[in-house]
Amino acid sequence: MAAVEGPMPGFSFENCIRNRHLEKIGHKAPTAYKTGTTIAGIIYKDGVVLGADTRATEDTVVADKNCSKIHYLADNMYCCGAGTAADTEMTTQMISSQLELHKLNTGRKPRVATANRLLKQMLFRYQGHISAALVLGGVDVTGPHLYSIHPHGSTDKLPYVTMGSGSLAAMATFEDRFKPNMEKDEAMKLVRDAIAAGIFNDLGSGSNVDICVITKDKVEYLRPFDEANIKGKREGNYGYKRGSTAVVSTEVKKIPFEVVATQVVSGTEAMDTA
Amino acid sequence: MSERYSFSLTTFSPSGKLVQIEYALAAVAAGAPSVGIKATNGVVLATEKKQKSVLYDDSSIHKIELITKNIGMVYSGMGPDYRVLVKNARKLAQQYFLQYQEQIPTSQLVQRVANVMQEFTQSGGVRPFGVSLLMAGWDEDEERPYLYQCDPSGAYFAWKATAMGKNFVNGKTFLEKRYSDNLELEDAVHTAILTLKESFEGQMTEDNIEIGICNQDGFKRLSTAEVKDYLASVQ
Amino acid sequence: MSIMSYNGAAIMAMKGKECVAIAADRRFGIQAQTINTQFDKIFEMGPKLYVGLPGLATDVQTVAQRLKFRLNLYELKENRNIKPKTFLSMVSNLLYSRRFGPYFVEPVIAGLDPKTSEPFIASLDLIGCPMITEDFVVSGTCSEQMYGMCETLYKPDQEPDDLFETISQCLLNAVDRDAVSGWGGVVYIIEKDKVTKRILKGRMD
Repeated sequence: MAAVEGPMPGFSFENCIRNRHLEKIGHKAPTAYKTGTTIAGIIYKDGVVLGADTRATEDTVVADKNCSKIHYLADNMYCCGAGTAADTEMTTQMISSQLELHKLNTGRKPRVATANRLLKQMLFRYQGHISAALVLGGVDVTGPHLYSIHPHGSTDKLPYVTMGSGSLAAMATFEDRFKPNMEKDEAMKLVRDAIAAGIFNDLGSGSNVDICVITKDKVEYLRPFDEANIKGKREGNYGYKRGSTAVVSTEVKKIPFEVVATQVVSGTEAMDTA
Repeated sequence: MSERYSFSLTTFSPSGKLVQIEYALAAVAAGAPSVGIKATNGVVLATEKKQKSVLYDDSSIHKIELITKNIGMVYSGMGPDYRVLVKNARKLAQQYFLQYQEQIPTSQLVQRVANVMQEFTQSGGVRPFGVSLLMAGWDEDEERPYLYQCDPSGAYFAWKATAMGKNFVNGKTFLEKRYSDNLELEDAVHTAILTLKESFEGQMTEDNIEIGICNQDGFKRLSTAEVKDYLASVQ
Repeated sequence: MSIMSYNGAAIMAMKGKECVAIAADRRFGIQAQTINTQFDKIFEMGPKLYVGLPGLATDVQTVAQRLKFRLNLYELKENRNIKPKTFLSMVSNLLYSRRFGPYFVEPVIAGLDPKTSEPFIASLDLIGCPMITEDFVVSGTCSEQMYGMCETLYKPDQEPDDLFETISQCLLNAVDRDAVSGWGGVVYIIEKDKVTKRILKGRMD
């Protein structure tokens, strides 16, 4: 029954045959937004620091200069995403929803290990076709945890991780300066520098540094934490004067005021229709 | 011909009734009382949680449940049936959130839960739920509270205040006398406790009642200490 | 050649002071051959909500109809006007459900909140990754030219009349450097109490 189409669960493959045919006769499919991305995270004395740049690209064009790559999973957990932007966005939303249900049904704060499992099982199920490379960090009853999750579903649990096209630049910074049990300021500075290394040395990463600090009972989401590239001030005025554009026709549509409430006042008793 | 039919449970009787629904309502009317009152700045849900033996550990069993940040629920009737609906309601709320990135409005959740309950009056191999629900929610969009009741038939009503379960007629009469349109949440909590007290047998303590409140900060079940404070101020 | 330039299209949206604008070219062609020069690519989704759909024309119309279907159902069910942000999620969901066999459209959304009249613009890629911005969004075959025009001409907090000049000039000058879009333009200026639709005169080559 096509007429009662509601949002169906799962993916629809109805366009696949057509799209494959179009591809075959030489029409290339457009590229989706990617987050070329530098994302990173470290464990420090009291918790976890996550960091990300804010550039989204569509092929070589900068599609978004200030996109948010640190996604909410639960109150004590956040997740940085690299890869196809839609995949990281939707995957984290879906897992966040599952974690919320898990929390309500068990009456407990979700653990980072649980989120890691949910994410890796979902990504493994899709055999790498969902291209989300993630850095998952959070604090639960067992302490701070940091995972990196690859698109095929493999995961690492490490004290410092990086992901995305700028991961090499960021990892170089970590390898140089990471040490266990750092102070908060020191840890934030290190993550900022790692992301900045990606912003300046990797073309897929750019704009600002976002940082998220998660501790046992607090989350600080700093966006932007640092504007690595401040746009210059425009000196001239390039505006067009009113009336510059040639208009063929104009049509004005008034918007009627929205009816907020209706009240029927009548003297007689309302008819009983029950 | 006798009235005894052995068709599916969800078949009409010759007199045009679905007797299973009436039996379900009887199960509700025999269940522990629960009360809901809508105030100007929130809603309160309250229910009796009496155990048959002092040996029960009642600290880990709850009748008032959180469905999503701003909606909570309580029941009169059969506990096990309620758990199924709670799980269902939570899932429905999450589905809505995933679809629209917006908290489900109370009216929408009620409608969807009621749909589930209706389905169980018309499907094969199932029986209706033996519970009536009270759902309290804060509508973020309209910035106002809502109180709904949902019956085994799938019928639902919006209330200013209502009572369900054992002695619900007395409870409702009491509320009709006590309710006013400019009631504040704090007073509503007191009124809810007093309504439960009307038919309460024995001593009311923080361990044998449960209270949940919903305001613009969301829904929460009160801790035993908070309930104790309210009880002290009522007595 | 990319399937996005099979029919050709250029769409952009901009935020102004208590108003938003959405503009599109009017050409419908099949590769280099122009078929129609009064083709609709912007669709009304509510009194103060519009969506622009550049891409493969068959998908443009299919997606517009599917969105309208879901939107009507939403408004009937919930008995209220949809918020632009909620509509964005709706579009995002529709497109992401075809993640592995997408519709070839990259939508642009412009509107005002039905209650607060807060301006809102956003765009999505073909698999539904939402992107909300504070200045402008562009989408279509000449997106690079449009980005260039918008980056130079855009100013925040423009009055409706000034916003019209800015978005019109951004569009017209961008499509002049694109072979498969142009042939005039259409601009909607959405304000709290009215929507003004203007047809622009442009090069017809």
